[in-house]
Amino acid sequence: MIEYLFLLLGEAIMVFGALGILRFPDVYTRLHAATKCDTGGAMNILIALAIYADTSTLIKLKFLVLAFLIAMINPMVSHAIARGAYKYGIKPEVVVDMYAWDNP
Amino acid sequence: MVKESLLVTPFGWGVLVLMLTSLLLTYRIIRGPTLADRIVGLNTITTKVVVIIAILAVISEEYALIDLSIVLLMVNAVGGLILAKYMEVER
Repeated sequence: MIEYLFLLLGEAIMVFGALGILRFPDVYTRLHAATKCDTGGAMNILIALAIYADTSTLIKLKFLVLAFLIAMINPMVSHAIARGAYKYGIKPEVVVDMYAWDNP
Repeated sequence: MVKESLLVTPFGWGVLVLMLTSLLLTYRIIRGPTLADRIVGLNTITTKVVVIIAILAVISEEYALIDLSIVLLMVNAVGGLILAKYMEVER
């Protein structure tokens, strides 16, 4: 019964992350919503699968390895995309840009 | 041989929800104002595809597909880093 709770939590997080990508006005806010919601939803669904799968322990360990790799890789790629988008010339739609003080 | 249908367990309905969510995210890839928006949509859709493959490996009881999902995640990481460096060089 606990695996269905994890599954429902992960699905809800992923759906709200997709709605955030559709509705936010800027690149950086979209990236914020995408990274956090996608990482959390994928890790919750993989923990639910590791509980639910009716197999040996060695195969259940693969789901935890996949969750660890998602938690390591996805913020790294998101940080690289944000840095590349600022170097590309996309200015954020904010009142004051504190990142431009240090990087003229 | 798939022993049971897709929409019997709640994980099958989870696959359906993730596919509809990916169809919603296709709008951001087609009609994004800049290049960075399209890269964000592609990374999100690819992570959802990784989770879909991991669910289908459990439902169809064919556990070799988990290795395929790990390989797809690593290819997604390399592709995202290459696109980010391309954006950084092109002013």
